[in-house]
Amino acid sequence: MTELRVESLAKRFGGLRVFQDISFILPQGGLLGVIGPNGAGKTTLINVISGRQPASAGRVFLGGRDITNKPAHAVSRLGLARSFQQTNTFKTVPVGENIARAIRFGGRGTPAGLDRMLDEFGLTPRLTEISDKLPYGLQKMLGLVMAFATGPAILLLDEPAAGLERAERHNVDTFVDIVRQAGASVLIVEHDMDLIRRMCPRILVLDAGVLLADGSPAEVLARPDVIAAYLGETEDAA
Amino acid sequence: MRRNLLGWADLIALLVLAAGFFVPMLTHSVLVYSILNQVFTGVIAAESVWIMLRMNLLSFATPTFMAIGGYTVAIAGEYNVTDAFLMTAASFILPALVAIPLGALVLRLRGTYFVLVTFVLSQIMQLVLFETPSLTGGSNGIAGVPPVTLFGTEMGTNRQVLEFACGLAMLATLITGLLTRWFRQHFAAIEENEILAESLGLVVWRYKAMGFVVAAGISGLAGYSLVNMLLTAHPSSFDSGTAVDFIAYTIIGGRVSILGPVLGTGALVYATNLFGTHGQYAQGLYGVLILVVVLVARGGIVGTVAALWRRRTS
Amino acid sequence: MAEFSQAAIIGVSLGAQYALLALGFTLIFGILGVVNFAHGGFYMLGGYVAYSCVAYAGLPYPLAVLVAVIATGALGWIFELYLLERMVDDHLATLMLTLGLYLVMSTGLLTIFGPLSMEFAFPVKGAMHLGPIYVPRENLIVLAICLTTIAALWLVLYRTDLGRGLRALADDRAIAMAQGLRPKLLFPLAFAIATALAGLTGALVTPILSLSPGVGDPVLATSFLTVILGGLGSLEGAALAAFVVGVVEAFSSVYFGGSIGALVLFVLVLLLLVFRPTGLLGRTVRGA
Repeated sequence: MTELRVESLAKRFGGLRVFQDISFILPQGGLLGVIGPNGAGKTTLINVISGRQPASAGRVFLGGRDITNKPAHAVSRLGLARSFQQTNTFKTVPVGENIARAIRFGGRGTPAGLDRMLDEFGLTPRLTEISDKLPYGLQKMLGLVMAFATGPAILLLDEPAAGLERAERHNVDTFVDIVRQAGASVLIVEHDMDLIRRMCPRILVLDAGVLLADGSPAEVLARPDVIAAYLGETEDAA
Repeated sequence: MRRNLLGWADLIALLVLAAGFFVPMLTHSVLVYSILNQVFTGVIAAESVWIMLRMNLLSFATPTFMAIGGYTVAIAGEYNVTDAFLMTAASFILPALVAIPLGALVLRLRGTYFVLVTFVLSQIMQLVLFETPSLTGGSNGIAGVPPVTLFGTEMGTNRQVLEFACGLAMLATLITGLLTRWFRQHFAAIEENEILAESLGLVVWRYKAMGFVVAAGISGLAGYSLVNMLLTAHPSSFDSGTAVDFIAYTIIGGRVSILGPVLGTGALVYATNLFGTHGQYAQGLYGVLILVVVLVARGGIVGTVAALWRRRTS
Repeated sequence: MAEFSQAAIIGVSLGAQYALLALGFTLIFGILGVVNFAHGGFYMLGGYVAYSCVAYAGLPYPLAVLVAVIATGALGWIFELYLLERMVDDHLATLMLTLGLYLVMSTGLLTIFGPLSMEFAFPVKGAMHLGPIYVPRENLIVLAICLTTIAALWLVLYRTDLGRGLRALADDRAIAMAQGLRPKLLFPLAFAIATALAGLTGALVTPILSLSPGVGDPVLATSFLTVILGGLGSLEGAALAAFVVGVVEAFSSVYFGGSIGALVLFVLVLLLLVFRPTGLLGRTVRGA
């Protein structure tokens, strides 16, 4: 059983509090959305869970095993992969080499569904193209595919739809579907509320570093404090 | 995917170095021999810098490990142990062993620590040499190191010394080529995007440490070559300033290919000899060239030539 | 007892010099993320500029020191603005640039002044006797200036808006820039402050120690050792570590002689990296 359990996690930079007292459980095969205004600490949360940055307090368990403050490569090897908000690939080598590296560094063989994923995103005919030459949307999908290619049990996605054209966003849905069919669970940090509504049965709302709400989109998004903290801001931004 | 043990650049580098064996057929000039000996030693040392540069790490530790390799040979010589194969192995393995704990320690930290620690290390090695006169002869060093013996024959003539240096340089190039070819994907991933590589599960520090250990062994071979050329092991041969020379050879030659350290060393050692007795001014030239490479010609000599070639043929 | 106190005073005054160097070095690393290999070069340059002002222009020594500070600060500003700035996000490139600058500087000084040590003496001679302890006046003056400068630097960094801006850039460049801080102005300024500190140290200390084209390397090595010990990027750590290094060096040279002290110090620093890789007061060290 591989569940992700986060207990009272906190992160401070110097005197600045990024987030504190974050607790949740992501059960095996689950799908959890995390939303919150810019600067709410969402990316840092992924960084801390995945071992990129050390936690200031609290613990992270992966399948009952304490992975708090383990280095990023160790966390990845234990089955927790993450994607990055900006496009993040090995830019100077072909698409195929990028995927080969992910499979190789992950060390768990080729995951089921990888070929289908490449077909769905139209990457199969472009395996020999240098990844930097791909259109932005495809580079972004390649980054997601690489995280999946390591064969994780849990995948943390940092704004997978950010920067994508509206027409490309269904790729994220397809991606998450294939990942879950492979038996992995997904935590998805996202600004696109439509995407969150249609995909996530449960969401967490982060505001100024604290967990404001935890529940189904319908109930959470109806709460006045959530609307005040978050929805007001997205309307401003829109 | 096709996997060769060596790439074409490695083979060209080996061929270029192998030409050294034919030089004695053309000339007996002592000056030519001397420059070539310096080039061969420099190539070995620069290759140890190049290995670490493949992973974006700038190493000042070359003279430190050269000293360990060189003094190993000199001290063995005092006991009349001069067998070429034995001493080649020893001058590679001892520095590599010293590098293991050091690499495991420093390479888990940010890359900056590596630069700082190797620089301090190169300063400290001088002190160690001066403070251990019973072992290393202190400030006098160890003079009168006997020449190497190959299959029981003493390699004492100028020509034999040159051939031995050439052989060592080829061995170092072979090892460097095999290492960087074998771990090509890993080194390239670390060079281009270390954070991504690590998040995909690559144990980055382990590959860095592996590179560091082999680079230390190769530095040791450079120390062997230097001591065999001078027949003396002296602290000044392993001065921390020489670390900068090897870095300059590599960066100016070009870090994109193993041809960089080979050609860079050749060009700069030749240029330095043009300064004649004013060799200390050569570092100014290196400084200017490093600035030029970083600001306008990122690929160094090899990268720039390759880019021009591509433009002409396309 | 007299020997002990004397070593302590030498240690503290060495520590104050190292602190000036290490603070500048840390400032550059913390704010720009640049390892300044030319730091020893600016120290040397400070010494030579002060020497030239005294020997050739006949300026009084205090004025010569001031000229050295301005010259090293100005060169630092120009170098940052026109060369370093273009590459400031590429750690390896900035490292190579400062290394290249150092080679050019030291060869330039070698060409102009030759390889021999300069006859550059501190203008104040004599010693003070505090009971059984004998302290050279020059050391006391240098110590006083160093401590004053450290205090002034502290005031600027912790009590002015400029200082708050610089420290914010050091903490998190992205956040600081989002808040409207202008690295285009602050980067060259930080670099110039740091190189001017190195120049000041060189102008003050080379008349007491020595002035030759080779003095940059050991200065650089000491700065490195100090910032590793103090924790990369930590100003308080650098200052504390500088005094530790100075005192250890002074005591070991008084009681053991030779360079054993430097060796011991290096081993200590390596051990520290095993048990406390963040240094005495540093923070994050893992990662790229």
